[in-house]
Amino acid sequence: MSVFIRHYNPGSVYNAKIWRFASTTAETPKLTNGEDDEEFRVLDILKKRDKLQRRAPRKADVPPDRAEKMRTDQKWGDVWPGPKSFHPSSVPLPIRQGYVPKGQAPPGKKANAELMKIPNFLHLTPPVIKSQCEAIKKFCTEWPKLLNSEEAIEKHYPLEIITSDYCHASPVIRNPLSRIVILRIKLSDLKLDKHARDKFLRLVGDRYDGQTDLVTITADRCPVRRQNLDYVNYLLTACYHESWNYEDWEGDKTLQDMEYYDFDMNQSKRNLVNWHLLCLNEENNFSDEEIKLYDVASIPNATEYIESVSSLFNDGESDATLKKYDTSVRKLLGLPDKKIVT
Amino acid sequence: MNAIKLLWRSTPSRSILFNYNTTRLASAATITPIQRIEPPPSTIKLDKLYKRVELEMRGIDPAVLLSYSWFCIAAATHLGIDVTKSWALRKAEKERHTLLRCVHIYKKHRVQYEVRSYFRFIHLQRLTGSTCDTYLEYIERNLPEGCALKVTKIECQTIPDHIKPPVDEK
Repeated sequence: MSVFIRHYNPGSVYNAKIWRFASTTAETPKLTNGEDDEEFRVLDILKKRDKLQRRAPRKADVPPDRAEKMRTDQKWGDVWPGPKSFHPSSVPLPIRQGYVPKGQAPPGKKANAELMKIPNFLHLTPPVIKSQCEAIKKFCTEWPKLLNSEEAIEKHYPLEIITSDYCHASPVIRNPLSRIVILRIKLSDLKLDKHARDKFLRLVGDRYDGQTDLVTITADRCPVRRQNLDYVNYLLTACYHESWNYEDWEGDKTLQDMEYYDFDMNQSKRNLVNWHLLCLNEENNFSDEEIKLYDVASIPNATEYIESVSSLFNDGESDATLKKYDTSVRKLLGLPDKKIVT
Repeated sequence: MNAIKLLWRSTPSRSILFNYNTTRLASAATITPIQRIEPPPSTIKLDKLYKRVELEMRGIDPAVLLSYSWFCIAAATHLGIDVTKSWALRKAEKERHTLLRCVHIYKKHRVQYEVRSYFRFIHLQRLTGSTCDTYLEYIERNLPEGCALKVTKIECQTIPDHIKPPVDEK
């Protein structure tokens, strides 16, 4: 009994028949699959149906790109009027975007996620910007021609108000930082006399910058900008008027309280005046007040002496100040100059 | 709708209604006419003067910031605004966070995140209030995604009248 095992397919019913009819002489009909004997038959245990079902994918009839039909002299502002994600078929440019290893060309514009992700400025091309600016120009006003220099602006408009606006994506349209108001003014633009200036600087404290001569007042304690603006104006007004006020206790300032050396009030002036009068052999009946008011211009070389003494006390002792004092005293007393013995 | 129209056209009293108002006015000659309350004369609001307007742009993409600043400068030149400076920081501001990689234990294994912010600045000079408002509205409406804008305005004003030395009344 010969058993012909040819084209063994497990699911095939026909093969089962071959088994029964097995005999030495009987010739089993060949399973003709249209294959030649020379071709190698591939064993197909797991019958995969998809091979039969897979047909050629039907190509959808996509119309040609809009970009192909665009004229070169068209108005681009009409094609792309507002901010829009990139649409490759509407943009007649051969753009490539994306990182690829060396040698390869970056991917094209069709189905390019990189190009679609980023914000594009196709709605703001130069002709569009120009036309839009022409349209809004009627709402703009000209800057006054005479205020063409910093000095002119400072002379006529010395007060500065600094505010900030914020524009960004957020759940709320408001930003609490926009309530901050800063007022800046140069101290020289405010009319203050000597006492008022001193008092104003004491009241204002840290807000004054000596190098730039600017008083900066910041207000952020109120929730609304307008309130902070009012507060800042109020602070300036209050400080200004308070500095002109002369309190009774301000007169109690003694010589020891003085924070700087004032030549007119100190002993040094009395000494100078007494010495001068002694030289001239005049009567010395001056009282304290009169000594303070005594005009020093009559004494020769006195102004330099006064300056050197004041700088010694105010600026501190240093080589320069001591040298200056030395020369001024020699001049005052008529002594010869210092000889440098080498 | 049409039914209402038919009703309206068919009413015989329509003509009477039309004449009603005229007859009423004629008989109201004895009553004093109502005087219109005129609104108080509005004080002329002077245009503000801005010495300087500083734009600070922050974003996650430096190329987008560059394009936007180019647009801002182009708009400024078209509107006749003086652009004094435009520059960008060379490097971004990086905010880094080092967090634990795992939900539970494994302290030695961390993961790091960073957020990069790129900056760009434009300084404009000598704008009037209306120009500034117009320009800023145009700029802010076209602010791209992923960008933030901070506008600092330095307004110059006169010293108020009440800030003057006290007059000595003697």
